Amino acid sequence: MKSIRRCQHIMSLFLVLFIAGMVTLVVKIQRESAFYMMNSDKHVLGMVYDRNGDVLFDGSLKEGDTSKYEDNYFIDVGNLIGDDKGQMTNTLVAKNIEKLNNYSFSEGVVNEGGKAAIYTTLDHKANRTVYNAFAGNDGCAVAYNYKTGEILVCTSLPSLDVTKGYSELKSFREGTLMSKNMSGTVPGSTQKVSTVISALEIMGPERLLSKTFSCSGKYTNKSGKVIDCHELYGHGDLTLQQAVEKSCNPYFAQLVEDPDLDFEELKKMYTKLGYSVNGAEPEYIDIDGIECQKASTNLTDPYDFQTQWGCMGQGDTLVSPIQLMMWQSAVANGTGKMTMPHLIKEVTNVKGKITETASTSYSNALFSEKTADSMKQILLTNGANNYTYLIRNHTVGVKSGTAQVQNGQKENSLLVGFVTDPELPVAFCVVVEDRNNTYLTAEYITQVMLDALTPQAN
Amino acid sequence: MYNPLSYVSSCLFVLIAHAAMLANVFINGNYNSIADPAIIAGAVLLLDVAYFTALLFFKQTSYTIDFLLVLVLNMSVIFQSCFGQVKFDSDAIKHYITAVTALIACRVGFIACRNYKSLQNKRKFIYIAIGICIVLILTLTGSRSMWIQLGPISLQPSEFIKPLFILACATSVAEQQKKHKLLLFNVVYENIALFGLMAVICLLQWWCADLGSLPTFMAIYIAGFLLRICYPKAKLSKKTYISAAAALLVIAVIAFKFAPAYVQERLHADIWSDTNGSGYQQSQALIAIADGGWTGKGPGNGFLCNVAAHENDIVFATVCEEWGLLYALMMIFVILIMLAVPLINPPRSYYHATMSAGVCAAFTVQMALNIFGSCNMIPFTGVTIPFISAGGSSMMVSGFMIGMLAAAQSPVLDNTGGQPAAAPKPPANRPNKRPVRRKAV
Repeated sequence: MKSIRRCQHIMSLFLVLFIAGMVTLVVKIQRESAFYMMNSDKHVLGMVYDRNGDVLFDGSLKEGDTSKYEDNYFIDVGNLIGDDKGQMTNTLVAKNIEKLNNYSFSEGVVNEGGKAAIYTTLDHKANRTVYNAFAGNDGCAVAYNYKTGEILVCTSLPSLDVTKGYSELKSFREGTLMSKNMSGTVPGSTQKVSTVISALEIMGPERLLSKTFSCSGKYTNKSGKVIDCHELYGHGDLTLQQAVEKSCNPYFAQLVEDPDLDFEELKKMYTKLGYSVNGAEPEYIDIDGIECQKASTNLTDPYDFQTQWGCMGQGDTLVSPIQLMMWQSAVANGTGKMTMPHLIKEVTNVKGKITETASTSYSNALFSEKTADSMKQILLTNGANNYTYLIRNHTVGVKSGTAQVQNGQKENSLLVGFVTDPELPVAFCVVVEDRNNTYLTAEYITQVMLDALTPQAN
Repeated sequence: MYNPLSYVSSCLFVLIAHAAMLANVFINGNYNSIADPAIIAGAVLLLDVAYFTALLFFKQTSYTIDFLLVLVLNMSVIFQSCFGQVKFDSDAIKHYITAVTALIACRVGFIACRNYKSLQNKRKFIYIAIGICIVLILTLTGSRSMWIQLGPISLQPSEFIKPLFILACATSVAEQQKKHKLLLFNVVYENIALFGLMAVICLLQWWCADLGSLPTFMAIYIAGFLLRICYPKAKLSKKTYISAAAALLVIAVIAFKFAPAYVQERLHADIWSDTNGSGYQQSQALIAIADGGWTGKGPGNGFLCNVAAHENDIVFATVCEEWGLLYALMMIFVILIMLAVPLINPPRSYYHATMSAGVCAAFTVQMALNIFGSCNMIPFTGVTIPFISAGGSSMMVSGFMIGMLAAAQSPVLDNTGGQPAAAPKPPANRPNKRPVRRKAV
């Protein structure tokens, strides 16, 4: 009988393995069925709303149906929220399309009355105000609550109204189908924030703040290359605070060459801040599935012109506006930890049941609290000394930048910063492209954005 | 001992199950005329009654497997008649005929395999039959495939090798006592022969560029091998299990590494990146399962019938779409119960137990390959689900193998007193213990 039982054990083994496989299959089907349906031509999509219930995407709209919403209603979020047509792949809808699926395994496809929806953190009204403030100029602006990580404004021009379809695709201007906030751009002098943070962390605030470097309008670095200052006759002897406020390039070239700023440590700090240094594999910041390009730069030698230039935000350095904004959160929080941004507040399924709720998360500490405090003070002093009349009614810590793009043919204007008001804990980044051909300034966009986000404004 | 599975109640159970399915077809089915489901109902119930009647002429200790077989076969007939539209068309008729063939094959298998001694003496014919199948494949199949075309009928000789291979494994058990000195080793000739046979089958599958059935043969071989090496007294210790698992792992790694290009492609295929090409069948199958949900779209209301091989290679998904995942799981459950019968009602000898283990291995692996393959859990192969997929060779062979399972349950009865006759002779050093026979139902 024992020998028969042995055979039964073998049979049991086969049956148990098969049943285990079947259980796995049922679980897999349960979990992935919405995805399968999204790949069919039978899916019915739900809605995307802003934080106040405004519609940002309507899955029930037929292609070319422009009667339901006013003209260009979706244009300020067109390349951020996107649609399901497949032309834009790095948008909220494209990356989260399964969550909008009015389908469940037990209910099947619900054609009418499905409640699958994504509730975003965006403030559509403020976003639209900022979009309009650009007055047709190209650029982008992003702002988020650095306490919670909720993205409040994220607009990028040029943009499109997705309800109009893509029949005029060939006439779209470059950059229409992407949110520039997610893409790397030359940061200009806003990069100096990273260099100062690194220097503070490596040398310590006391030592760095006690140093002065001289600017005569030009500086010939140790490899014999000349670095110009925007101030033709120079700034004279500068402290760190003055150098940040004046955005003095010779100061920063000398800082990078300074033996007290260990170059290997500088590279490590840049890497810690999230830069892909010297061709390291580029990565992405994930914002609810949307891929946001991470910063990159080349740091080869402290005396090398390109390296010094890179530490000032020119040369090979690229940073996305979102990442510039995130570093501001690490400073504003005073912890050295970035608040991770998110766009999705809640997700409901076909029955209206909440299936996902966002929570605040932080990065690892990029730098010490001491460094954060010092940097915060430097930026606030800059804001108080230079931006009180440019950005009114808000106490801001800021750093501006001018970025040469397209081989110096164009200059972009950037402004990064944060607001200290506990009622408006906002970090931001604004980019105005081709600043020499417009009266528009990054400060003006910032003013409009902060005013639109101020609670009483709503 | 009272057994609730009495003949009449079992008949009623099967009839009620089929009637419930047919009611679903009448109520939710997609048909043009009421005559269409009526014909299907007539055919199904006729086959039920005919088989119940035929069973009366066979003396068995248990009829459980037979009732389950007719239950699942007519389920299959109903499924296949409804794919796309409820209609007893030529394909449905063909499937119905193969179902009848499977029932006959089951009876043949039962009669052929219950007498151990008779088979043991004729085991050389098993090897000859396998050899004939191999020669047929090598000579009659066109362009290195597994199929032989005989007018309107397609035969797959490799399917016929499966039960023969199980029998070869089972009949070799007694030979384990006969060890011979070969060079420095004590060997059993039969084991070498079986190993050689497995190698030939591997080569044949590779030659035909159809490695889909290979795991089934491997499973039969492994089950047989494990039961041979510990016959009659050795235990299947943890050490044996671990060694066998390690050996399997090594074989799997080597096999994957040196698998042909088309197999490698399937191993690393992302079906969702090529939904109109190589991932078409699987992606459509998964969409159909999702679309069907728990309860299905109704018989004849599916779209998967427009996809190639919906009636065999991806039949699980087709059933899921029209009848729902719950029903498809129930269908698989019925087949599993059939395979699990030897666990409840033990086979009456080691030979019969080895045979049952071989059938169980073949069925479970084949079902796993079909279901998990079509659902993108493992590489997709073109094997069938026994009894559910359309295909004459598969149905006939599956029926035969279920007959083997049934034979393992019932001793040979003589015509005089209903007492067992010609029971398998145990080996000399084997305790003469027999499993307790259950009362006939």
